Amino acid sequence: MKFKVDKTVLASVALHVVVLGAVLLSFSTRALEVRPEESVGVDISLESQVAAGMKTGKKEEKKPLVEKVAEAKPVDDAVGKISEKQPVVTDTAPAPQPKAEEKAVEKKPDPPKVAEKPKEEPKPEEKKPEPAVDPIAEAIKKEQKKPTPPKPPVQAAKPPEQQKPKERVFDQSKIAALIDKRDPARQAATGETLNSNASLGMSKGRAGDNSATWGSMFRRQVENCWKKPYGGIEQERPEVAFNIRLKKDGTLEAMPAPDGTPSTPYGRAYSESALRAIIQCQPYNLPAQFFDEWKSFTPVFQERPI
Amino acid sequence: MTDQHRLRDMLLLPNRRQIISAMAALGAAAAISPRSALAQKRITITEGDFAPLPIAIPNFVAGTPADGEVGVGVTQVIANNLRRSGLFAPIDQAAYIEKAINVDIAPNFQNWKTINAQALVTGRMTRQGDGRLKAEFRLWDVNTAQQLAGQQYFTSPESWRRIAHIISDQIYERLTGEKGYFDSRVVFVDETGPKERRVKRLALMDQDGANVRYLTRGSDLVLTPRFSPSSQEITYMEFGQGDPRVYLFNIETGQREIVGNFPGMSFAPRFSPDGQRVIMSLQQGSNSNLFVMDLRSKTTTRLTDTPAIDTSPSYAPDGSRLCFESDRGGKPQIYVMAATGGPAQRISFGEGSYSTPVWSPRGDYIAFTKQGGGQFAIGIMKTDGSGERILTAGYHNEGPTFAPNGRVVMFFREPGGNSGPSLFTVDVSGRNEQRVPTPGFASDPAWSPLLS
Repeated sequence: MKFKVDKTVLASVALHVVVLGAVLLSFSTRALEVRPEESVGVDISLESQVAAGMKTGKKEEKKPLVEKVAEAKPVDDAVGKISEKQPVVTDTAPAPQPKAEEKAVEKKPDPPKVAEKPKEEPKPEEKKPEPAVDPIAEAIKKEQKKPTPPKPPVQAAKPPEQQKPKERVFDQSKIAALIDKRDPARQAATGETLNSNASLGMSKGRAGDNSATWGSMFRRQVENCWKKPYGGIEQERPEVAFNIRLKKDGTLEAMPAPDGTPSTPYGRAYSESALRAIIQCQPYNLPAQFFDEWKSFTPVFQERPI
Repeated sequence: MTDQHRLRDMLLLPNRRQIISAMAALGAAAAISPRSALAQKRITITEGDFAPLPIAIPNFVAGTPADGEVGVGVTQVIANNLRRSGLFAPIDQAAYIEKAINVDIAPNFQNWKTINAQALVTGRMTRQGDGRLKAEFRLWDVNTAQQLAGQQYFTSPESWRRIAHIISDQIYERLTGEKGYFDSRVVFVDETGPKERRVKRLALMDQDGANVRYLTRGSDLVLTPRFSPSSQEITYMEFGQGDPRVYLFNIETGQREIVGNFPGMSFAPRFSPDGQRVIMSLQQGSNSNLFVMDLRSKTTTRLTDTPAIDTSPSYAPDGSRLCFESDRGGKPQIYVMAATGGPAQRISFGEGSYSTPVWSPRGDYIAFTKQGGGQFAIGIMKTDGSGERILTAGYHNEGPTFAPNGRVVMFFREPGGNSGPSLFTVDVSGRNEQRVPTPGFASDPAWSPLLS
């Protein structure tokens, strides 16, 4: 079978080939370059460190969870550390990173420190082999060993692989630790005394300051009772504070104690008018859940500048 | 820590580390101490109420059966004084659970808490064997169950009102922290008769309007009486046969004398704070200037010399400066200058004109009459002219005078028409305007110093 090849078809095919070929050659993929970012030290602080509380805790629990008794951590010496550490110079970093970065690293919770430090020396100094025995240095070391505060065990929480291969001994006393499914590298909650009950947090923490709430409630109530003398307002701007203690039912536990003695007759009348107001307005209707905060506080009565 | 560091530590050489840790410890201590101080939350309260203080004043008990009436009278005077001050709200006696209280023992405070009293006054009046009257009173704080004041007085039976005023002052002073003003008197111009033939007499009364006494018969026109701060004397202006003259009048003896012998009018007199001098205006042609006359040596000193009307001088309580009215700048305005004369400084700059300035006995304000916009207002300003405050305004208000404690201003108000003027008081805060009861029409009041 013979058929005539249309020249225009040939021309079209040829043209397509030329165009496609040109496109394939001229549009080349450019390599995607990722500019390496400078690393930034990030301080990770656990919630338990901030508010000393846990979301799963009970409201009634007044004290925060404490798993181990806190020990004084050695004071971080920024200046001393500088000499020990070589500034890390990388290709991407144009200049050696100034102090700021180092400090950030220092402040990190202990585990990262372990990872970073081995560069120079294994952190626990005690394990370091002594090359030459210097009698003075030895004596110093012996003396020094005691006062050196032992690092919290958290720090020793090295990657588990290092410890396990040694030998597997079944220790009954560690069953509790074995069934503890929590991250072994977690930060143990520390405090003055051990407390196994998790709590929502303490009212002493900043997160637990609800004085804006109950304070304004107290203010509104006491202002309704306060009939202040308007004697010398233009001459004096008195201010009088009381230390008051309230019972759970909102009544006064004791007679409010004025904070200082007013020096002028008007100051005295002013102070007495405030005292009358505090006494007359009880019982105070304040939110019971913040009782720990308002059971003892200091109302301050003062004149605004005119 | 390197060996070098350790060695240095051993040798007790202070190194940077030690210094830094010591500083860190100090910093920690500094950071901790204010926090522990702040553990006591401070709640600031500023918006108290300027409401009057509820006070219970049961009738003073009678020491003898004959003293019941005076006991009730004293109680009423005290309650009236305190109520009129605007700072106290005496509770109606009908609400009292206890009617008569033994002044010798602490009251049952619960009975007074129940009726919301914050203060309680108990007292007793007893006629003594020698005919004198003994008054005892105690002031109690109901909420704290404390006695705030307690006092006893002896007096002649006719002076029972004064005793009531003195006790009122004690209560006022103890509860407000300011001196009282109830034991004081007011001299004023009593006006009777129809408008076209008004008889004007000098009159004297207690500050609450009681015990009115007439000092002149009303044959001559009298104006601007002023109390002496130190003696039972008043100075005033009287239109006699000729020109109006400044007179001195002794309240006790009824004696009167002309102050100085000047050609032309002398007017707008006022005592100096020590009572030894009288300052006034003397007419000189169509102008007037300020002169001061020493009452003992009778020497007169010129204080101003301007081709203007300088008048209404009033001393500061320390006697070092004086304020007066002058139209030297066009309209009448208030000026302040040294008591010895010299350059005067204008302090009033508001709209309208200012007249009759008077310096507060407390020293903090100058009260004035302000005219403008078809109204006469009574106002106060600080002695440097700042803080002007209008206390009342209307058709015609004039002639402010301060209570002895500088808290209250008395003035007279003319309602217009065929009616006549009457006296009013208002607090320097502008609150609590009260009419002062007078037998007839009254004008030109002047408040005395405290009597005791």
